Amino acid sequence: MSQQKTAAPKAASETQLVARAQRGDEEAFTALFEMHKRRVYSLCLRMTGNTAEAEDLTQEAFLQLFRKISTFRGESAFSTWLHRLAVNVVLMHLRKKGLQQVSLDEVDTSQDEPVKRDYGDNDRRLMGSVDRISLTRAIAELPPGYRTVFVLHDVEGYEHNEVAEIMKCSVGNSKSQLHKARMKLRDWLRRNEGPMTPGEPVTSDQAPTER
Amino acid sequence: MDETRRYRTAECDRFELELDAYMDGEIRPSVPAHLRECVFCKVVFEDLTALRTATRELPLEEPSLVVWANIRAQLSREGAFAEKAGAWSWFWQLDFLRRPVPVAAFACMLALGCWLTAPQNNPQPITTASLPTSAGEPTVVRSMAFLAGGEGLEKAIRELEKAFKAREATLAPDVKATYENSLSSLDTSIRECNDSLQREPGNSLAHEYLFAAYSQKAEVLSSALEIDQGR
Repeated sequence: MSQQKTAAPKAASETQLVARAQRGDEEAFTALFEMHKRRVYSLCLRMTGNTAEAEDLTQEAFLQLFRKISTFRGESAFSTWLHRLAVNVVLMHLRKKGLQQVSLDEVDTSQDEPVKRDYGDNDRRLMGSVDRISLTRAIAELPPGYRTVFVLHDVEGYEHNEVAEIMKCSVGNSKSQLHKARMKLRDWLRRNEGPMTPGEPVTSDQAPTER
Repeated sequence: MDETRRYRTAECDRFELELDAYMDGEIRPSVPAHLRECVFCKVVFEDLTALRTATRELPLEEPSLVVWANIRAQLSREGAFAEKAGAWSWFWQLDFLRRPVPVAAFACMLALGCWLTAPQNNPQPITTASLPTSAGEPTVVRSMAFLAGGEGLEKAIRELEKAFKAREATLAPDVKATYENSLSSLDTSIRECNDSLQREPGNSLAHEYLFAAYSQKAEVLSSALEIDQGR
């Protein structure tokens, strides 16, 4: 409830800022950028894995936004509009780079190799918590198609039907790519993380109790 | 639970097919049943749960000030701003130059930038024993040099923090909260990077993140002081 109370004034002030920006008010442009820059930049950074590219794409997304702002009529939330626009900017960029982003249904089959699960003595497990820097690096190491689906679904919170629409693929394909992305991340983190426990059989008292 | 088995079963394959749906909240009775039976799939489930938790807790990153500067310059060229805002903006630029603290921060960052881009054949005296041995990692060398010789920037940040603390009471509550969130996020980044470097001194990504976090903190503090000083 308290969140709703605080969200309402924010939405109201954002609506006012959009209206001012539509009239060419520079302060409103600045304020809108300040409100949304971190989310847009983080999206770009995680989808590209490269800070220079992410900054260029953030710049491009906001430029497109401000150029089109006079057409914004408020049918959807401003942040939703901006976020979808940023996703499209990144996907267009990746497409220009020749990566397999246009459609996951056409994705390179080399990405579809099954993710092997080790059994037996070589099996190791994560510690129950994952270091943020390692995770960031692991996401950047994912093949582009996997990374895009993982970022859109697990980081940005899009549903599979939305991911499928954005990526122009089937829902089943989105689910399949996400599963492989998660398993690849797990595999990468197990191979590259420093502190891990050896893969001894897990007994009930070793298993984390918190889910 | 069979803790001696060393091979996958058909149930393991079925478990893997249904795992994501189960983790996304769908009802899949076979999954918890298999988790009670198979130690290996239980480990997979726990790993993916930890991964999901970490993913949800990933903090937002801060772009550099250059991004807005470029956007603003481009929009200005395209005539996107109303005339009044343009005139005010020019005045602000003059006003900015009269402010000692932001200018100090800007000068500090400018000096740091020049130093970082200077040829590396005249390195600063780096005493730390944790310098990487690989010659092929310029980022690491640059960041380590920053850590060894960047006391000036750290000192400037401390001064900016003092100035911010002294003036934050005058900021509007929502503006203050925004800056505090940004600074808290950057402090978390700095702490995490230092933790990572303690564990793994040669971690080039941690060096890069630490450098970026310090630079961004200087930018955020500088930006907050500009607002406070009557922009």
